[in-house]
Amino acid sequence: MKKEEVNFGKTDNFNLTMIPGSFAKKMRTCLIWQFIRFLAINIKMLVVVSKSH
Amino acid sequence: MARLVVLGGGVSGHTAATFAAKWLGSAHEVVVVTPNSKWNWIPSNIWVGVGQMTKEEVTFDLAPVYAKAGITYKQAKAVSLNPEGNESSDKSFVTIEYTGQDKAGTTENIEYDYVINATGPKLNFGATEGLGIGSELGEHTVSVCTADHAEHASHELEKCIEAMKAGTRKKFLVGTGHGMCTCQGAAFEYIFNIEHELNKAGVRDMADIKWISNESFLGDFGMGGLHMKVGGYVVSSKLFAESLFAERNVDWMIGAHVSKVEAGSIDYELLDGTTGKESFDFSMLIPPFAGVGLKAFAKDGEDITSTVFAPNGFMKVDANYGAGAYENWKASDWPRTYQNPTYSNMFACGIAFAPPHIISKPMSSPNGTPINPTPPRTGMPSGIIGKAVAHSVCDLITKGDAAHLHEASMAEMGAACVASAGKGIFTGTAAAMTVYPVVPDYEKYPGTGRDTDYTFGEIGLAGHWIKHILHHLFIWKAELKPGWTLIPE
Repeated sequence: MKKEEVNFGKTDNFNLTMIPGSFAKKMRTCLIWQFIRFLAINIKMLVVVSKSH
Repeated sequence: MARLVVLGGGVSGHTAATFAAKWLGSAHEVVVVTPNSKWNWIPSNIWVGVGQMTKEEVTFDLAPVYAKAGITYKQAKAVSLNPEGNESSDKSFVTIEYTGQDKAGTTENIEYDYVINATGPKLNFGATEGLGIGSELGEHTVSVCTADHAEHASHELEKCIEAMKAGTRKKFLVGTGHGMCTCQGAAFEYIFNIEHELNKAGVRDMADIKWISNESFLGDFGMGGLHMKVGGYVVSSKLFAESLFAERNVDWMIGAHVSKVEAGSIDYELLDGTTGKESFDFSMLIPPFAGVGLKAFAKDGEDITSTVFAPNGFMKVDANYGAGAYENWKASDWPRTYQNPTYSNMFACGIAFAPPHIISKPMSSPNGTPINPTPPRTGMPSGIIGKAVAHSVCDLITKGDAAHLHEASMAEMGAACVASAGKGIFTGTAAAMTVYPVVPDYEKYPGTGRDTDYTFGEIGLAGHWIKHILHHLFIWKAELKPGWTLIPE
C-alpha cells in the first residue's frame, strides 16, 4: 500500500477527505519551489494588505 | 493640550497609541494604561508552547519603548469610565488600578479628552467548570494565550515526551474549551506544532492526537470558512483542513461544547445533543473571551454599563446591533469608525469592540446550548482598526469635532494569516492564507461571500519562512525601531 493511502483506513473522518501524495508533500519542502512560492505568496499578501488600508 | 488615553497595550492598543503619539507630537498627551509590563507577540506563543522559542524572544519591556515615543505609561488596569465626569467636574475620566510601578493596588482617576478602549479580552477560563477560575487557568489543562502560559505548556509537553520515550502511550487533546470560543487558529497551530515536535522526538507512534472544536465544520475558523481557487476548482477550507488532519493522523470532534474539565478527561455536548467524555493526558483548550469587566457611570453615579457595553462586556460602537435573525445579517452591520454611539469621545478597537453578531452560521444543540465560534478580531484587522481609530482621534484633536472619521470595516478589509504547522528552517510548514473581506459580503460576492481572486491558501515551507519573518518584523515595528511606520499592520 502506498504511504499516503494508509490513513484513509484509520477513521471514517479520514476516509472522506483527500490526502496528498508523495510528490505534493515533497514540493512543500522543496527549496527551489518554495522560494518561488515565497515570492508569489508575498506578492499576493501585499496586494490584500494594500486593498485593506 | 488634549489628552488621549488608550486602555490596553496589545496589538490594537499599541498600534493606536504609537501612531497617535507620532501624529500628535508633543503638543498633546498620549497615555497608555495596560496591566502588563511587557508587550507580547502572541502569534509566536505557539512556538514557546512547544519549546522552540523562549518567553524572552516573544516579549519586550514596554516602559523604554513608551519613554522613547513620548507616551505616558501607566502599568495599571482600567476599572471604570465616567464619560460625563462626576458631581464635582464635567471632565470625562477613567479610574485605573495600578498593577506595577511600585503602586500596585492604588487607584487613580485620569481625565481624558478622548479614550480608546483596546483592553482586549478577559480569558474567561471560568466559563467552563474545571477549565479555570475567572481569568485564571486551571490545573488540568494548559494554554498558549500568554507567554507565561505557553512556557508552562512547553514544560508539560516535555514531560509527556519523556514519558513516551520511556514507553508510555499518551493522548493529546487540543482545541476549544467552550461552545462560544474564538481563536480556533491558535489551537490549530498548536496541535500541528505538537505533532511536528513529536515526530522530531521520534515518539509520534506513541501518541494519539485529537482535535475538539466548537466549529460546525473543520476550517470554519470563526469566519464561516472560506473558499479558495485551487487547481481550477473553487473549494471550501473544510476540504483543506480535513485533508491536513487526515494526512497528519489527527482525529477530530467538531460541533463540541466542553461543559466540564477534570483531571484527565472532559465532558462534552455535541450539536446533535449527544453528550460524552473524552480522556486526555495532555490538553490545551482555548478559553472563551469576554470583555474585561469595565464599568461605566453617569455624572450622578448611576451605573450606565449596559448603555456603553454589550452584555458580553465588549464596548458598543457604530455597528448595527439590531440585525436580528441570521437571514437578516448584512456586511453593513459591521462597524466602520468604532465610535461609541452614546459618547463621541470614546472609541474601541481590537477584541474590545462588540461585534454586531457572529460571522459563522449560528447553531445550538437540541438542549439549547449555543455551539458556534465567535468572530475573530485579532491580528491584521486588529492593527488596521487601531490605526484607523488613532487617525480619527488625531484628526478630531487637531481639526475639531467636524473632522472626518476614518473607516476600517471588517467587511471591506482583507486579512493575511499564517498558521504554523511545524517549526524548522528546512522542515517547517505553515498554511499561508489571505481572505478578502474578513466578513463575507453576500450582496457584493454572491455565492462564497468573498472575492476568490484575493482569497487563497496553501501549505508549505514558504509559509513558515513568512511566519518567521513576520515574527521579527512585527516585534521590530512594536519596538518602534527605525522604519517601523513602513511596516504595514
